[in-house]
Amino acid sequence: MNLRTLSSVVCLCIASIASADTPPASFAASFVQTRTVPNFDTPIVSHGNMRYDRVNGFHWEVTAPYHYLFEMNGKLAHEELPDGTKRDLDPDQTPWLAAVEHIFISALSGDRAELMTYFSVASKPAADGTALTLTPKLGAIASAISRIEVEESAPGQPRHLQIFETSGGHMDIRFSPLAAKPPS
Amino acid sequence: MKSGLSPAARWTLWLVSLGVLCAAAAVRLDPQHVVDTDILAMLPPEQDSTAVAAATEQSREAFVDEVLILVSGEDEPATRAAAQAASAASASHGLKPDTTGESLNRLLSVYQAHRYALLDEAQAQRLASGGPAALTNDIATSLASPAGMIDVFGSDPGGHLAAFLGSLPRPYPSFLPDGPFFSAFKDGKRYFLVRTELQGSAFAEQGSRQAVEAVKAATLAAKGACPACEVIYTGAPLFADAARRSAQSESIWLSMASTLLIMLLIAWVFRSFAPHVLAGLQLVASVLAAGAAVILCFGSIEIITLVFGTTLLGIAIDYAFLYFSEYWFGEAAPEKVMGAVRPGLYMGLLTGVVAFAFLLLAGFPALTQFAVFSVAGLLEAGLLVVLLFPMSLTRFPQVPVNAAVLWPQRFIQAACRPSRWRWILPLIALLLSVPGWFKLHTSDDVRSLQNLPSAMLAADEHIRVTLGQVPPPGFFLEEAPDLQQALQHEEALFAEVSANAPQLSNLGLSRFLPSETSQQRSLAAWQKVFADHQSLRASFVHLGLPAKLADRTLVEWQQASHTPFTSEQLFAAAPELKRFVIADGSRLALLSTVTGGTDIDPATLSAYATTVPGAVFVDPLARVAASFQRLRVRSTWLVILGYLLISALLVWRYGRREALRMLFPPLLAMGLTLGALGWLGEPVNIFVVVALILILGLGRDYAVFLREGGARRSPALAVSLSALTMLFSFGLLAASGIPALHVFGVATLVGILASYLSAPLSLPPAEEPA
Repeated sequence: MNLRTLSSVVCLCIASIASADTPPASFAASFVQTRTVPNFDTPIVSHGNMRYDRVNGFHWEVTAPYHYLFEMNGKLAHEELPDGTKRDLDPDQTPWLAAVEHIFISALSGDRAELMTYFSVASKPAADGTALTLTPKLGAIASAISRIEVEESAPGQPRHLQIFETSGGHMDIRFSPLAAKPPS
Repeated sequence: MKSGLSPAARWTLWLVSLGVLCAAAAVRLDPQHVVDTDILAMLPPEQDSTAVAAATEQSREAFVDEVLILVSGEDEPATRAAAQAASAASASHGLKPDTTGESLNRLLSVYQAHRYALLDEAQAQRLASGGPAALTNDIATSLASPAGMIDVFGSDPGGHLAAFLGSLPRPYPSFLPDGPFFSAFKDGKRYFLVRTELQGSAFAEQGSRQAVEAVKAATLAAKGACPACEVIYTGAPLFADAARRSAQSESIWLSMASTLLIMLLIAWVFRSFAPHVLAGLQLVASVLAAGAAVILCFGSIEIITLVFGTTLLGIAIDYAFLYFSEYWFGEAAPEKVMGAVRPGLYMGLLTGVVAFAFLLLAGFPALTQFAVFSVAGLLEAGLLVVLLFPMSLTRFPQVPVNAAVLWPQRFIQAACRPSRWRWILPLIALLLSVPGWFKLHTSDDVRSLQNLPSAMLAADEHIRVTLGQVPPPGFFLEEAPDLQQALQHEEALFAEVSANAPQLSNLGLSRFLPSETSQQRSLAAWQKVFADHQSLRASFVHLGLPAKLADRTLVEWQQASHTPFTSEQLFAAAPELKRFVIADGSRLALLSTVTGGTDIDPATLSAYATTVPGAVFVDPLARVAASFQRLRVRSTWLVILGYLLISALLVWRYGRREALRMLFPPLLAMGLTLGALGWLGEPVNIFVVVALILILGLGRDYAVFLREGGARRSPALAVSLSALTMLFSFGLLAASGIPALHVFGVATLVGILASYLSAPLSLPPAEEPA
């Protein structure tokens, strides 16, 4: 099992939001990510921004407390690491990346099949959009993740993402929509 | 009848001899394994090291029992339900479900417990040289990356264990484990792969039939759960069953057609019921004795032997024809018939048995079986003629001489008249053959032995393509005195392959169990990272991460195992990985391979292997082809030796001048046969060589029969009937769908015709009928 593929749930969840009945052509937001590690009382907080559109692909950038950048367009992916190292990722040599790319592209095209494979999806109307609860179906994912909750600020736009890990860990990402603009 | 044996004694002798043979065979027979379809079991044992032989067998066993069922559909829940129904149905019919998922969970536990021993060489060097800063960078990257935010084990913040797990070989690159299945979403359809394994022998009739029943039941169950779903399947047991059915059905129709044609011929010539009864009895007894002898010697009978053995019908009846021709249309009185045919019968039997017995020297199990089958069948046919015919045919026959009886004698007489055409025609035929000789090509491809249904081959191809599973061209074998050295050799080999062909994926035990050296290197790198606690804290703080996270990481390191994990621990978790290990007495070898390319050149892989001590690349198909080639060459020498031996026998019996004349027609027939094969574009393989042995034997028989009887009516008739029956039985093989049998049939068809037409050349030109 390619566990890196399973671990790419953030990308998957963002993609799932984008796979609303009418996926938005683009989306941009700043985010605050708070991670709680089991048996560790200090939350790890990071800030950044993300955006995607069908032409320029996916952009994920952490700006604080250190800098990290991940960009993916089609099969091409690029990373800038906290120590300044830059590297291109070849999907042929990085199986998880190919899977992520597939999920992402599928979701952008309005296809939730990939998501439904791994998760039972329950949705209910929320004040501004839809609230989704994803419960893992498969043993390997279920052993790592209890559930994922996503709230939308508008159809197809995530506002709040929470991942509850079986180990007791918790990840909380809050998105604040930005005006979409192509990456520089 | 001059013999002192009474009819009762003759019957008793015959029945007891056949009965004892059959009873002994029945005791030896394995009722579950009467007919064997394992083509590779017919090959001779390899002369390589036992490790190579064991590796070949082990790599073969890894897939021969596997049965794959692929269920696909557009509705994901319905398709999953169909896959579950197929899995349950196949299990209830005896196919063992795959347990990869259970092994995977156990393996994950082992890897988690020894996660600090799993860095590859590059990672270890980077951590060792970068120290705490390198680890901090990895952790920060893992926390920030959209593809690495979940720590599956809660204790792999840098994603190093995940990287190791992500790099593990995947059995089906396009599919991911999905509960008890492997699944993928492709082209708008959800695919579920149900992996099962046959518990019996894939090549035994019962085992392969069980597999067929199981996939049928699985298909029905899947269709019941999801009518719109598609179900396809493949596996060696299914191919084995198809091969058996094909060979059995060919065997049946060839036997029936051959028998029918022979009966019509007998009716046309002898116009009497007795020859039918006696010939039928002889055929049944011959095949029975031949089959019993094979089972007595080998325990079961190979499918190819069974099909080839059908041709024994044509040879066995020769002796009956010799007797019938003399009895019905010869000059001897009924009680003198045996005496008249005895020289030709015994000489034909002797040379026939010698020719077939020579196949025993080929060292080829299939030919050995065929030789035993044929020798036993011929001896039984001869015994029956000697014991039962004289007491069954005691009255003067009342059948008038008819056209069917006269034409053979007329042909022989015409061909024996002094004429320049006696050498011009053979010369023209030979000249026409010469270009064909230069068109001849050899083929030793084992795949030509079977005629597999195209639909099954297409389904197999479809499944392999869907799974992204490209069959490797062969395997590497790394020999060493112990496992650790073998693992190091394999790691060096994989490094060589990856450096030169990064598109290939390596599959071997070292991918799951790094060598102790590699694990120690990994542990040493981590030791350096955690050696200076303050530097570690400083690095975390430098990137804005809590210093307490560094403390926690250090505690995890201190509490974890700092020893390499062993092969015993690995095999306890995943017993199937033992398949990579070949134990060879005091030494040990590892089996490994590469996948991922459709055009991997075995020569290149062999070159990679030469760079690593103790490593060798084995191409099983090439080895099998080489075995066939060796056998072909060896058998060709046997043909030549057999020809020389028969020549000596003929010289001893008839003198040098007569013997040379008698040896010419068989040689001519062989030359014409090879020329025809060349013109027709048919390959020369081991089966063509066998055909040449038969042609040589038949040509010699005809020469002996004519030499002993002259151009009289009865020997001419016997030779002609023999040729016709041989054409009926052997020639029919030319219509076989099995390529090997087809070329055998073509060769014998041409060879027998040439042998018969050239047989009169064995008599001197002035010879006149008696």
